Amino acid sequence: MDNKEAKLIKVFQTVFPDMDPQKAPAASQASVAGWDSVAAITLMNVIEEEFEIQLDFDKAADLTSFQEILGYLQELQPNATRI
Amino acid sequence: MKLSEALSVIQGAPADAPPFPVLLACGFSPLHLENYLAAHLQTVVPHRKVRISAGLYDDLAGTLEQFDPAGAHAVAIVIEWSDLDPRLGYRTLGGWGQRVAASILETVEGTLRRLEIAISKIPSSVKVALALPALPLTPAFHTSGWQASGAEIALRELAAGFARRLVSHPSVLLLNEQRLNERSKPDERYDLRADLHAGFPYTLKHADALGEALAALIALPQPKKGLITDLDDTLWLGLVGEEGHDGVAWDLASHAQLHGLYQQMLGALADQGVLLAIASKNALDVAERVLARPDLVIPREKIYPMEVHWDAKSGSVERILKTWNIGADSVVFVDDNRMEIEEVRTAFPEMECILFPKSDYAAGLTMLRRLRDLFGKPRLAEEDAYRLASIKQNRHIQESTQNGDLAEHFLATAEASIGLEFSPPATDRRVVELVNKTNQFNLNGIRYTDAEWQQGLEDPDCFVAAVSYQDKFGPLGKIAVLRGERTRDRLRINTWVMSCRAFSRRIEYQCLFQLFQRFEAQEVIFNFISTPKNGPARDFLSALVGDPATALTREVFTAKCPKLYQKVI
Repeated sequence: MDNKEAKLIKVFQTVFPDMDPQKAPAASQASVAGWDSVAAITLMNVIEEEFEIQLDFDKAADLTSFQEILGYLQELQPNATRI
Repeated sequence: MKLSEALSVIQGAPADAPPFPVLLACGFSPLHLENYLAAHLQTVVPHRKVRISAGLYDDLAGTLEQFDPAGAHAVAIVIEWSDLDPRLGYRTLGGWGQRVAASILETVEGTLRRLEIAISKIPSSVKVALALPALPLTPAFHTSGWQASGAEIALRELAAGFARRLVSHPSVLLLNEQRLNERSKPDERYDLRADLHAGFPYTLKHADALGEALAALIALPQPKKGLITDLDDTLWLGLVGEEGHDGVAWDLASHAQLHGLYQQMLGALADQGVLLAIASKNALDVAERVLARPDLVIPREKIYPMEVHWDAKSGSVERILKTWNIGADSVVFVDDNRMEIEEVRTAFPEMECILFPKSDYAAGLTMLRRLRDLFGKPRLAEEDAYRLASIKQNRHIQESTQNGDLAEHFLATAEASIGLEFSPPATDRRVVELVNKTNQFNLNGIRYTDAEWQQGLEDPDCFVAAVSYQDKFGPLGKIAVLRGERTRDRLRINTWVMSCRAFSRRIEYQCLFQLFQRFEAQEVIFNFISTPKNGPARDFLSALVGDPATALTREVFTAKCPKLYQKVI
């Protein structure tokens, strides 16, 4: 697991406190009941804060799963450190 | 506060705690303002579970018109220009410029009138925190950005008039724009991206600042009651023992203006009922000569008592607290000497101790502003003007009561009268204020929000009595509150507080006497809970019934009640 993934799991835990962190990597808008439009915006804002980046909201709106978000973050910041 | 921290605070709230419901009324998507308001409020009321509900999107007036007071202890109303006319926002394309300016002004005026009517209908038991438009106006006007247009001025004038009218509403607390500007720079507030994508117009930083400000208004801390000040290099510049009474200064020409401003601040605080005392290491006669100077900014008679001698400051502070009969946590101590500050802080850890900053002007300004925050009151009550006079009277009474005959004579000739107002109106905020700030003669220490206090009042068996007092020395104002319920000939008193200013006058006996009479009761039960501070209430009940949990019968009360001299009106 790279530190981006670990950090993203922490973000998911913050936004979805009832989520089992081990299940976070498989999370998607379809599988998480609380992932509505408000949670999606909150998720984006917490990611921006924690990763100290600015997301392209037009693109980010289409990211509907943990893996898609992680992939997008990898593209934005390719120099991830493995832990 | 970071958004993730705010979410953690909300998630960490005690699940089983009594709820603290708040309506957030705004026309935009509440999103992170809701999170920040909840988090800041949760921090201020940690023993409650803050629950924020939001109104209808794009319908601020409708939200307020449909407000159900049973569902919230408080309302946070956040108005933005786009709520007053959508053309003042970025999410609609209804036109900008001179062509629509008159139409916008007309709509804004109408919307503000509608909001004003809705807000003024909110019962006074519900606290209302009101924030006026804080986002910069859109570039919709014909002038360059450097030049204010007539339409912009007219818009701000309409908003100011709306605020001016509402600020007299008993429960409306208006957010101070000046303080918000310090916490959140105006040009860093608006987030076009979030507004267009999510209908949320604020940057996280501004949402944080606004949430904090609204929480501070909703849960304002109890104002401090007294200030103890040092003299040399604090109330004035210089050491009077060395420089003589004409050698010390507090004016601009002597580069001592900060001391004059401090005196001016103390004078203003005294006018709003704050108690002032002096604790100084000096010779009393020398200090008195300065205090008699006609150019003293603070009126000398506002200061009582004075502890001016060479003994330890902590002892002086202890005696002043005893005279004032208030707790150290209600008092602020100001001194220029770090060692004295430390000594007092060690003796009274709950006391706020402020180091007078002498020649540090920035720190001086910070201190003056801090004093405003510590002593600020949402509204001034009639009782605030009586406080010092009643303490001076109390000293007189205490001296008299050390001799039994004198005490009886004093009470018999005091020309006292007591007013009992049953079912005081909900607009009388002094009632809940007294319940929440009285520690010593307090049956159980239970605190109430305005909304909690209103619950159950409509029950015909519930009674509330607000008690006021005056004698030949002057009025004490409203000094006691009793609340209870009646079941046939038995009364249960759930709340009973009496200001420490009213001790030693047998008012507590008169209260019980009146209850027995009015309700033809045969016994009274007290919902007494011992607290670290309610010794006077415990002692009174113990003297009557032994164990405070025991019912007080009419027979026992009649046997133990001393002679009462007050006239009841």
